[in-house]
Amino acid sequence: MKTLALARQFVLRPLRRDKLRTALTVLSIALGVAVVIAVDLAGDAATGSFQSSMTSLVGKVDYEVTANGGVDERIIANLTALPVNAKFAAVIEQHVTLAKAGSVTLFGVEQLVDPAVAVVSSDAADRFGWKVDDSIELRGRTFRIQKVITGQNVGWVAIDIAAAQQLFGTYGRLDRIEVTVDPGEDAAAVERLVRATVPAAYEVSSPGARSEENQRMLRAFRWNLRILSYISLLVGAFLIYNTIAVSVVRRRAEIGILRAIGVSARGVLAIFLGEAAMLGVIGSAAGIALGRLLASGLVGMISDTVNSIFITSAPGTVAVSWLSAAVAIATGTSVAVFSALIPALEASRVAPAEAMRRESREHQTRLHVRRDLVIAGAAAIAAIGLSQFGPIDGRPVLGYLATLCAVASAAMISPAFVSAVIRLLRAPLARIPGAAGLIAGRSLAASLARTSIVVTALATAISMMISVGIMVASFRETVQVWLESQLRADLYLRAAGQPSAGIFPPIADEVPGLIASTPGVGDVDTFHAFTFRYEGEQATFGAGVSDIVRRHSTLRFLSGDADSILRSLPGQDRVIVSEPFSNKHHVRVGDVLRIALGNQTAAFTVAGIYYDYSSDRGFVISDVGTLRKYLPKQPVTNIAVYVSPGADAQKVRRELDLRLANYAVSVAPNATLKRAAVEVFDRTFAVTWALEGIAIVVAMLGTANSLLALVLDRRREIGLIRYLGADDGQVRRMVLTEAALVGLLAAGLGLMLGAALSVELIYVINRQSFGWTIQFHPPLELLAGALLLVWIFTIAAGIYPAGIARKLQPVEAVHEE
Amino acid sequence: MFDNKNLSGVVGVTKSGLSAVSIRDVRKTYEGGVEALRGVSLELPAGRITALVGRSGCGKTTLLNMCGAMDFPTSGVVEVAGLVTTGLGDAALTGLRRNKIGFVFQFFQLLPTLTALENIELPLLLAGARNVRATARERLDWVGLPEKADALPWQLSGGQMQRIAIARALVHNPAILVADEPTGNLDTASGDLVLKLIRRAADEFGAAVVMATHSAEAAAIADTRVRMRDGLIESVE
Ligand SMILES: Nc1ncnc2c1ncn2[C@@H]1O[C@H](COP(=O)(O)OP(=O)(O)OP(=O)(O)O)[C@@H](O)[C@H]1O
Ligand SMILES: [Mg+2]
Repeated sequence: MKTLALARQFVLRPLRRDKLRTALTVLSIALGVAVVIAVDLAGDAATGSFQSSMTSLVGKVDYEVTANGGVDERIIANLTALPVNAKFAAVIEQHVTLAKAGSVTLFGVEQLVDPAVAVVSSDAADRFGWKVDDSIELRGRTFRIQKVITGQNVGWVAIDIAAAQQLFGTYGRLDRIEVTVDPGEDAAAVERLVRATVPAAYEVSSPGARSEENQRMLRAFRWNLRILSYISLLVGAFLIYNTIAVSVVRRRAEIGILRAIGVSARGVLAIFLGEAAMLGVIGSAAGIALGRLLASGLVGMISDTVNSIFITSAPGTVAVSWLSAAVAIATGTSVAVFSALIPALEASRVAPAEAMRRESREHQTRLHVRRDLVIAGAAAIAAIGLSQFGPIDGRPVLGYLATLCAVASAAMISPAFVSAVIRLLRAPLARIPGAAGLIAGRSLAASLARTSIVVTALATAISMMISVGIMVASFRETVQVWLESQLRADLYLRAAGQPSAGIFPPIADEVPGLIASTPGVGDVDTFHAFTFRYEGEQATFGAGVSDIVRRHSTLRFLSGDADSILRSLPGQDRVIVSEPFSNKHHVRVGDVLRIALGNQTAAFTVAGIYYDYSSDRGFVISDVGTLRKYLPKQPVTNIAVYVSPGADAQKVRRELDLRLANYAVSVAPNATLKRAAVEVFDRTFAVTWALEGIAIVVAMLGTANSLLALVLDRRREIGLIRYLGADDGQVRRMVLTEAALVGLLAAGLGLMLGAALSVELIYVINRQSFGWTIQFHPPLELLAGALLLVWIFTIAAGIYPAGIARKLQPVEAVHEE
Repeated sequence: MFDNKNLSGVVGVTKSGLSAVSIRDVRKTYEGGVEALRGVSLELPAGRITALVGRSGCGKTTLLNMCGAMDFPTSGVVEVAGLVTTGLGDAALTGLRRNKIGFVFQFFQLLPTLTALENIELPLLLAGARNVRATARERLDWVGLPEKADALPWQLSGGQMQRIAIARALVHNPAILVADEPTGNLDTASGDLVLKLIRRAADEFGAAVVMATHSAEAAAIADTRVRMRDGLIESVE
């Protein structure tokens, strides 16, 4: 009780006195928590809606029957004949593009007997402004909207199943059969019977399994975002540490008095931890609100990425659950309390006698530079050691830990680094007119403990910017080089509409023939792609004309001779796999893959592993003849056209546009495709940049906060130099020089840490998460520019504290005791 | 040696050339309503030491701050080095402090992160002067602490700190030396050393010294003793 009353006096009063500093600290926690929560909420919203809910149309579904390459329609007759009380519904699920309006999931179902009507979800109706009895056009055919199903948060259109098969030319094939067991019937028995009836290569699973599978595929992606979001929180933690450390130092005499009047060391500890907890709770609560807002901004970006490189899904709504709110508050508060632990312990060790000391010696925060350097070395070695191991459950957990060790190492080096650099800069600083440099350098060095924390916080944010910058630029460069070699054809064709991961709309059968007969066309490489399941994960199976691929040498292999690898494919059960596939499933050359295709399970020998950066799902590619053996009706999904030597590509393209006008295909010249690929790439990293930006903002707030503390603590000194003839400008310049110096130190430390982290990101984290090899290409000009910008921002962060310093009343400042 | 352009063209230049500081019927009422000065007139001649004595709270520090152009009267006129302080802008006031005024405080007020020599250099650096190091060394020698050039304040005794502070106050040859209880925090021996230096400042530099003090020893070295009481001058001797 006594402690509580004291805490009120001792914690609340100073917090209220330094309103601005309190606000800045709370804001930095709030931002940290907001980013964490926003990434989670937005991630959930962007990826949570794979299961396009059709339950209101067909009722509850217990099982679904699926098969790689599609389910044979005739199976349904066998199932219906089973002596069980269950319903079997054939379903087609495809994606269609609406003229200029976006795309929706299209279901072909048995419930709608009229082939000219459609039922749409309320979400689609809202999005596209549809009403009952409107006409809509799907792949060139018109349907009348018969009904809008309300309460749907995903956009979909359902039409008659036969009409759907006609629309996509997939006669005789279903995407799945949904099984609904009647009440009272033994569901497990039904499942056994169904399994026994369908070919062994088919899968019978619960509907939730697919959604889980998708979530699993996205886990590495989401984990990387999550980790990125923790950076802001980490930067925030440094700042809490700083705030509490400052308040301990400032109140040493007061703490001494408390101790002298009988408050126990534990009581003092409790008071300071209580202060941190309070800041934590308030900051986290504000962070939840802020995070909710931020999430709405991020959800679009994240779902863009998910759609372009992982799987097609429609973004859902952002919703904060009580659980996630509680987790956020707990996280923010524990980060705050934990960061305050060391300074609070320091406070509890203040001897009662310190109450008597007249001048509080701020600079005496004990520093053990040599011991810290030893710890830094150990942390660095740990970081290197942890990077040697592989992923755990598909996540580079040890890689993340290594990153943390590297940051810890930098934090430990920081005091030695700061004092060494300031010593080195002695001469140039002394040359800054009006003693601004002299005083700035000295006071930063004098409050070394504090300076190194600000520098570490800012350096952490900068290092993330640098490492991610290097990683992204290297990745981009790698992808561009790869695109150059991979995309050698003049024209690329696919079904019209927004390209999207995991979706391969068919091209009509007669198209390849039409193209081949067009004057000026040389080689026509047809590609048949479809999603299949391998070891519980989705991947893409593709089949191409290996002879053409070989002649144009578009593939580069990790090892082995491309020519002989590609020559070995035709007529054999041999495949090549992409690097991400090989890494994800631990597949080596010579291994045998068992893949269910249609009614059979094929055994393919891996002939080679090729570089690919288009999808982290991974590819398995066979010769087109091999695919036909198992799935004779698998449609063409992509076509690469090589114009014959001497022919005019422009002219050929115009001719193809003309001839294919009625086939809903899009024809893209090579350059357009490359550009689009790079655009997708850039869009993918938009979220990353947004998160980086926030971490930098948190660090800036911290810098402003710390400079302000430094100014307020040196009130007397600043007042004094006014007596000695300093003018407004000189006082300002002194604080801004301090800001510039902090920025410079942080940039230096951040650059070193960032370079180390970029290696970690490229060779460990990214490789283990997505399975691709990235070549190291640091974007030097860009980094220099970014560093300069951050440096300018840091100086800008000094503007407010400088203003405060300028307005201090010298007479009061010097005479206050 | 010093740049005087800040002073040129400033209003309020008068003809009372004899006194470095001239105070005429000055009143000072603080924001809370406290009347610290209630009509004080005083002339501080060059080369002379004026001691302000009187009980705590009688207005000594308030008056000193006016002499140093750090504070301004509510009414009346304060003229420092021929300039009426109330009429001056920031730049002119800064110029005045840089060129004409030196301060010594009871608690020394050295910058803890600068060495003794650097502390002495500070006013010159702030004024953008040349020959900073040499001038500062000269003053360091003058106060008799040449071996303490590189010492940090915490490595010095109180008396040494105050001597460094005096060197700093005199480094730019000010016309006015303002000292607020310069011996208030010192033992008698150190106090005597400091007082000797202050006496020499008036004699050798020709500075008009104004010093607030509670000590008889300090008052004894002054040429004029001004006794204050409740914001008024009680007697001058
Ligand atoms: N900034 C201020 N605001 C309000 N009142 C003030 C302020 N500074 C001084 N005073 C009041 O003005 C009066 C004169 O104060 P001053 O500091 O000049 O006294 P002093 O003679 O220097 O005292 P001492 O010998 O204790 O230093 C006192 O009553 C004091 O409380
Ligand atoms: Mg006083």
